[in-house]
Amino acid sequence: MRKNLHRVLDAFGVVSAAFVFGVFIVMLGAAFMRIAGMKTGGSDDIVSWMTAAAAFFGLAHTFRHGDFVRMGLGIEKLSPGRRRTAEIVALIIGGAFAGYLWYSVSAYVWDSYRFGDVADGLIPIKKWIPQMSIVIGTFLLFISMVDELFAVLRGETPSYVAAVEERHARGDFSEDV
Amino acid sequence: MNVVEIGLILLGIMMVLLVAGVWISLTLAMVGWVGMVFFTNQPAATWGKNLFSAMWESSASWELAALPLFIWMGEILFRTKLSEQMFSGLAPWLNRVPGRLMHTTILGCGIFGSVSGSSAATCATIAKVALPELKRRGYDENIALGSLATAGTLGILIPPSITMVVYAVAADASIIRIFLAGFLPGFLLMALFSGYIGWWSLRNPDKVPVEGLDMSFKEKIYASRHLIPCTLLIVFIIWVLVAGYATATECAAYGVLGSLAIAWQSKMLTWKSFSESLMGATRVSCMIMFILAGAAFLKLTMAFTGIPRDLAEWVDSLKLHPYALIAALTFFYIILGTALDGISMIVLTAAVVLPMVQKAGFDLIWFGIFVVLLVEIAEVTPPVGFNLFVLQNMTGKDSNTIAKAAIPFFCMLVLAILLVTIFPQIVTWLPDYLMGVQK
Repeated sequence: MRKNLHRVLDAFGVVSAAFVFGVFIVMLGAAFMRIAGMKTGGSDDIVSWMTAAAAFFGLAHTFRHGDFVRMGLGIEKLSPGRRRTAEIVALIIGGAFAGYLWYSVSAYVWDSYRFGDVADGLIPIKKWIPQMSIVIGTFLLFISMVDELFAVLRGETPSYVAAVEERHARGDFSEDV
Repeated sequence: MNVVEIGLILLGIMMVLLVAGVWISLTLAMVGWVGMVFFTNQPAATWGKNLFSAMWESSASWELAALPLFIWMGEILFRTKLSEQMFSGLAPWLNRVPGRLMHTTILGCGIFGSVSGSSAATCATIAKVALPELKRRGYDENIALGSLATAGTLGILIPPSITMVVYAVAADASIIRIFLAGFLPGFLLMALFSGYIGWWSLRNPDKVPVEGLDMSFKEKIYASRHLIPCTLLIVFIIWVLVAGYATATECAAYGVLGSLAIAWQSKMLTWKSFSESLMGATRVSCMIMFILAGAAFLKLTMAFTGIPRDLAEWVDSLKLHPYALIAALTFFYIILGTALDGISMIVLTAAVVLPMVQKAGFDLIWFGIFVVLLVEIAEVTPPVGFNLFVLQNMTGKDSNTIAKAAIPFFCMLVLAILLVTIFPQIVTWLPDYLMGVQK
């Protein structure tokens, strides 16, 4: 069950990556079309929506992978027992807010769906379609934080800690800015 | 309740959340929410809507599309043999310079910095090859470690730079302008670092091993042939930026294309390296864009409370000498840098510090470079200088030893900050010359 959840969360990481790749392709396409003298008006809107999709779909995967930055100074030196308590507190606070965030964006996008808002740019599609990325992305983040919370309560090391330790042990710092 | 009290309460909440280890992106949004709910007269019905629109508009941005692409470009080249080629390609040219191969660290970081936007990745990439090679040949390890730790930070000063893109988004400044502004300070810093190595070598000639081989010009070119594609890519990107042929986002797309071509040509482009680089870039961008989204909401709340405006006016009313303000901010950022990473530092302070700086008459582009230099300092100062951590991990040496080795280079960084403050033209001349003076 939990394994399947992780598969879904990581699959959305791949979806997010596909949108990064999509941004690359659309940007290149637009650049070449511009050189060839063609109109590329709508590409800006598409790139914006794809960027948002890349940002939101991958949130849970990024979180699990330990790439969300936090201030380690306060908690990393704690004894294992206190560290566990600190992780629980951080996950409860973070998870609660992620849940609120999901609720807020859903309520708003639901309104946008009900009223049939249409995008004002050059591509007149319904606004809720690109906006689904933030609804789904924040939902997955919320679920992922709850999942990690239960893992820590059961006494496991959270994925986001294990992933970073494993990566740095390999000498891979490519994901640290 | 007056503005000062509100500001202090919000600051207090933020510190508690940060120390408790709550993720920075969520902390920013939470503090924004507390401020919106308790300290503005926004009706309850609009809280969620404000949260949504701030986050959505921050992320659904055409300008921001440059971010994942520049990150991806660095990730692709990180997975090629560039670092090995860098060492063998640079070495023959440095035989007659005082300090000899020691300069490979500075030049290598400078070159890799101009294709990568990350300080840790630059430091790790160059150190991976340069450290064992320099050690094997008998160079002084302290100088090598110190120069790698510090020169690695050139990754965020020499464009393209992830930190600069984040600053430009946070400050509503032009990405291209701030990229252009980074070139001269980047060269200045490289000259200072190399200058120190040269000076040190002249004073300690016994610690610089003699290299045997002297190559002819042709042989040198042949030895550095692997660096040619990368050099062409750098020249191309700089040319596109300088000539104004493409926007920053298009430039990033060309950069990815060029990096893929380099990886393919050196037979390092496998499905594995491709997907790993893309996934890595995606995660880093997700993290940064979510921080920017959280900060966008905090910024909105801040605008409602009027804290930044009042603070800016208060600072203005003190009639501080501009240097005094800069000195105070330097101190503030160095303290902040002992606990936070560079991107969080910039995003966290943008909403409050930028209006203040602007009101005091500073150019936002200049201030961006100034902040990037301060972030560079933060990367090499304990307890959480990230480059120290990278080298500690790679060499097994204690991070305090590495920090000590970096002190002379750290002083060069401080000197660069001083020079840039006294002669702001170092920063503003190139963008002004190429793009016209900003109104």
